[in-house]
Amino acid sequence: MINPESGLAGAPTAGAPEGHSAAVELENVTKRYGEVTAVEDLDLRVEDGQFLTLLGPSGCGKTTTLRLIGGFEAPNRGIIRIGGDDMSSRPAYKRPVNTVFQQYALFPHLSVSQNVGYGLKHAGVSRSETAERVGEMMSLMQIPDVGDRRPRELSGGQQQRVALARALVMEPKVLLLDEPLGALDYKLRKEMQFELKRIHREVGVTFIYVTHDQEEAMTMSDRIVVMSHGHIEQDASPAEIFDRPLTAFVADFIGDTNIVHGTVTRIEGGHATVDLGPLGEIGGSTDDQLASGDRVRVSIRPTDVHVEPGGAGEAVVQDSVLVGGHIAMKIASGDETVVAHVARGSSYEPGANVHLRVDSDRIRVFAAAEGA
Amino acid sequence: MSDAAAQVGLPPVTPEEDHKVGKGKGRAFLGIPVVGWMLIFFGIPYFLLFLQSLWEPTAFGVSHNWNLQNYKLVFFGDSLSGNIYLPTLLRSLKVGAMVTVFSTLLAFPIAYLLAFKIANSRTRLMLYVLVIVPLWASYLLRAYAWKVILGQNGLLGSVLDKVGLENTFLNNLLYSQAAVVITMTHIFTPFMILTIYAVLERLPPSLIEASKDLGVGRVKTFLTLVVPLSLPGVIAGATFTMGLSSGDFVAPQLVGGKNDVMIANQVYSQFGATNNWPLGSAIAFVLLGFVAILVAISTQAEKREQL
Ligand SMILES: Nc1ncnc2c1ncn2[C@@H]1O[C@H](COP(=O)(O)OP(=O)(O)O)[C@@H](O)[C@H]1O
Ligand SMILES: [Mg+2]
Repeated sequence: MINPESGLAGAPTAGAPEGHSAAVELENVTKRYGEVTAVEDLDLRVEDGQFLTLLGPSGCGKTTTLRLIGGFEAPNRGIIRIGGDDMSSRPAYKRPVNTVFQQYALFPHLSVSQNVGYGLKHAGVSRSETAERVGEMMSLMQIPDVGDRRPRELSGGQQQRVALARALVMEPKVLLLDEPLGALDYKLRKEMQFELKRIHREVGVTFIYVTHDQEEAMTMSDRIVVMSHGHIEQDASPAEIFDRPLTAFVADFIGDTNIVHGTVTRIEGGHATVDLGPLGEIGGSTDDQLASGDRVRVSIRPTDVHVEPGGAGEAVVQDSVLVGGHIAMKIASGDETVVAHVARGSSYEPGANVHLRVDSDRIRVFAAAEGA
Repeated sequence: MSDAAAQVGLPPVTPEEDHKVGKGKGRAFLGIPVVGWMLIFFGIPYFLLFLQSLWEPTAFGVSHNWNLQNYKLVFFGDSLSGNIYLPTLLRSLKVGAMVTVFSTLLAFPIAYLLAFKIANSRTRLMLYVLVIVPLWASYLLRAYAWKVILGQNGLLGSVLDKVGLENTFLNNLLYSQAAVVITMTHIFTPFMILTIYAVLERLPPSLIEASKDLGVGRVKTFLTLVVPLSLPGVIAGATFTMGLSSGDFVAPQLVGGKNDVMIANQVYSQFGATNNWPLGSAIAFVLLGFVAILVAISTQAEKREQL
């Protein structure tokens, strides 16, 4: 199937940006593999210099989106523009983007310097200039002394840096990174997150970063695009994604949350009051079209649940475990089980009767899924 | 390691440690069957053959008169029949080299196709089976098949006749060196395909994508990435083909002419009709020496490639 709009390549397109063109732009992009629709009707606009993260569970289409931008897959429908130019007829090797592959994909038969200089050499850059740029890039990556080694003689973190250097030395408009830290252990991953931020600041290239790790996305990104089943659930800043998730999926995927069920009693603009049964009434913001009497799901962050002494029959502590610096308590109230995070010293023993008080302006209310 | 790298806490590079597993007595026992097998089926026969090559033929057997006469004969010939063995040996190596080159050239595209260009796994399996099936047919049968194809009123000639392309060269292929090379190329190409396919299959597609990602087109990527990375397989297959084809005696006997005798045919006749086992042994040992040198070179080359 061909998008009628793709025939207008080169001509100014409806909906195209006013004034400047975005670093990367996807318009109604769909990619199918046989029966499977990996990416459906995706619209995305990445501004110059942004650090944008595609976040979502495994299989939601993140890699496919990157491969479409990189030119390793062709969309069934839709347009991809890089720096304003339509990429439809441009093979991967002619696109002004470079990729850091998931398993690094370093060339095993070449030395580290040759790996980093591979693209420049074949682009006809002189030997001395190649050597100079390779050296600079390896200093920036803080691996100045490993040039003569083979990739397999490096640690995982160093290989990661070589892969970054090899891509960035080409001075791409956009750098694509597919779960680049996935193969590293926890401590190294934390370190590399800061490294990547530093490198992003220093080179000023647009980064499109793929991960399924919400914590990683939160730490690093200017902007997060949460994906699920090939479409975008929410596209916003990390803070907004956390404080004001658009869908129950996002609320559930980002950070810990309790999703409890209730019935709308009052609706006023974007604010809904919900009867949660034994948990009492609660107010929260919503972006869904709701009416009084609708069944809804309410997202309550565990840190927003306050636990107080209560009478019998209200709520009962089931479990209480130390998690890092705080205590996570599992509390049963009617049919629902709620998790609360409280400071050490203010927890209750399992079996204790408690009262739950929710006090937050971060409560979110979502229409219940069909059938729920 | 640089200070900078140390600062960001990268772990020091530890070169892969050799597996210095304890050489306990238990492990030594495990080696006995292998060593015994090698000794009985290779060591002892080769040793006896070597002793034989140092003896002297007589009218009815051998005299245990130690000398290097046989080797001298292999390398320099004698006044009676001239120098026949060394030229034959060199011709065998030349035929072997041709077979190796042709089967590599034939095998590479097929292996490449199998590894990268056939997305459908069932089609790939079918092609793979097609490559393997000839290996199940007897070598003799396949050599005879070429006799039928290349013979004077054979398949090739008749077809050429029919389409009016009479060609004296192609019509008289049988009993020539060309026929020997064709037959052996056919025999050894499947082996080449399998060894090259084995390395190409393990080559991560992401490497090829990385090359394109860095702005390198298809052809250049093939030449600078796929070819060097497939060399270990090519070297292994070529060594195998070269060794076996230069020591072959069936193809020259069945489809070769009088002048296409190869070194193994001479060994064969020394042990048979001529009944000169010491000379046969000496020829065999010289051939073995050449093959050993070949294997040594290729092992070195393979080691370098795999660094
Ligand atoms: N080459 C392919 N052939 C068939 N299906 C594919 C292929 N690549 C991806 N898919 C499917 O497309 C969907 C999205 O995959 P992917 O983009 O890799 O997800 P993610 O990177 O988010 O884990 C998955 O259902 C996956 O099985
Ligand atoms: Mg992926």
